[in-house]
Amino acid sequence: MTRSIAARRRGVRIAMAALAVFGFAGAAQAHRLKMFATVEAGEISGYAFFIGGGRPEGVDFVIKDAAGAEVFRGKTDERGTFRWRPTSPADYTVTVDAGDGHWIEGSIAADRLGAVATKAMTTTAASTSAATSAAAPAPVPTAACPAPVDPAAIAAIVEARVDASVARQLRPFIEAYDQAEGRVRLNDVMGGVGMIVGLAGAGLWATSRRRREGEG
Amino acid sequence: MAHIPDGVLSAPVLIGGAVLAVAGLAVGLRRMDEADIPKTAILAAVFFVASLVAVPVGPSSIHLLLSGLMGLVLGTRAIPAVFVGLLLQAVLFGFGGLTSLGVDVVDIAFPGVILGLVARPWLSRVGGLGKVAIGGGVAALAVAGTAACVAAALALSSADYLPSLRIVAITFVPLALAEATITGFVVSYLARVKPEVLGLALPSEGAP
Repeated sequence: MTRSIAARRRGVRIAMAALAVFGFAGAAQAHRLKMFATVEAGEISGYAFFIGGGRPEGVDFVIKDAAGAEVFRGKTDERGTFRWRPTSPADYTVTVDAGDGHWIEGSIAADRLGAVATKAMTTTAASTSAATSAAAPAPVPTAACPAPVDPAAIAAIVEARVDASVARQLRPFIEAYDQAEGRVRLNDVMGGVGMIVGLAGAGLWATSRRRREGEG
Repeated sequence: MAHIPDGVLSAPVLIGGAVLAVAGLAVGLRRMDEADIPKTAILAAVFFVASLVAVPVGPSSIHLLLSGLMGLVLGTRAIPAVFVGLLLQAVLFGFGGLTSLGVDVVDIAFPGVILGLVARPWLSRVGGLGKVAIGGGVAALAVAGTAACVAAALALSSADYLPSLRIVAITFVPLALAEATITGFVVSYLARVKPEVLGLALPSEGAP
């Protein structure tokens, strides 16, 4: 009788251990909404993503200015991305609400929008499709007429082109950083499990002390 | 779904959740004696790990909660187990938040505890398939209870946060099915190999 119970207990313990190990195998993924946001050619774009996969699609995103007033509200597209072109450089926050109690807020500082916004203002005559394409040649009309060289105009053109190129090159790094930042690491998981074991040990010690004092 | 972060809920909701969670913790800890500590710790560790693993579903992502299983096995002792798991998740990974910890504990633990306490006496009256059904039903209803609690906490804080019913329905149905399947199998397994965990009498000598 006692042997069979002991064997049964061992079986349960092995099953629990297997369950725990099985859990760890998948523990590189976890559940939290994060956001990647960048500025390219004067346009704020990005996406929210769940750590472990999936992007909230077709859900609300809200752009607010520094005072907290709502300036734009839209829906993410079928790939979960949002994009919005500000009319003037300012501090903006982007909030994506996945609609089930998950949401995430990210901020874009004014100085990331500064130069490109001036470019956007000078290109109002150019077609918007040319302005949104980062690879397009500088659509600034003044670039076509080199005769009266205006240093301020050239500086603006160069700054806008450099900003666009740097943004394009940095994008994968920012994306990778945002992905890595929220990843659940095995060390942390093991630390948490160790903490629970320690708490159980402390609890057992406390109850055994209490019982011994009660007896003594 | 169930990890509500800091800075979202209003103060009355946070305080109410914290008061309920502290009361639940007090009840759970008072009921805890030496023999209960290991199984509470094991289930706390399983909850801690299992609810870190998220699967993308439709426009959102879901993870297991196992609150039905904890409620059936631990009763009110599930509340300290959930509290420890959530506290560690908040501190180590930033899931949920410290100020919203009380509300999150109530959302996740209380439905499972209540359903577990209601359903447990019925376990001894039914056969193997009945145990699977009870385990699955408790798990699915506990998920529904958690969804309702989260929605209530958000709606009470601000009407803006009212979760979209469409997305909750899309994510909640597969989660309830997964929880029901897992809990059903675990309950029937425990009933066979370690029935005293579920409050069932030990089988007599020689029984399979």
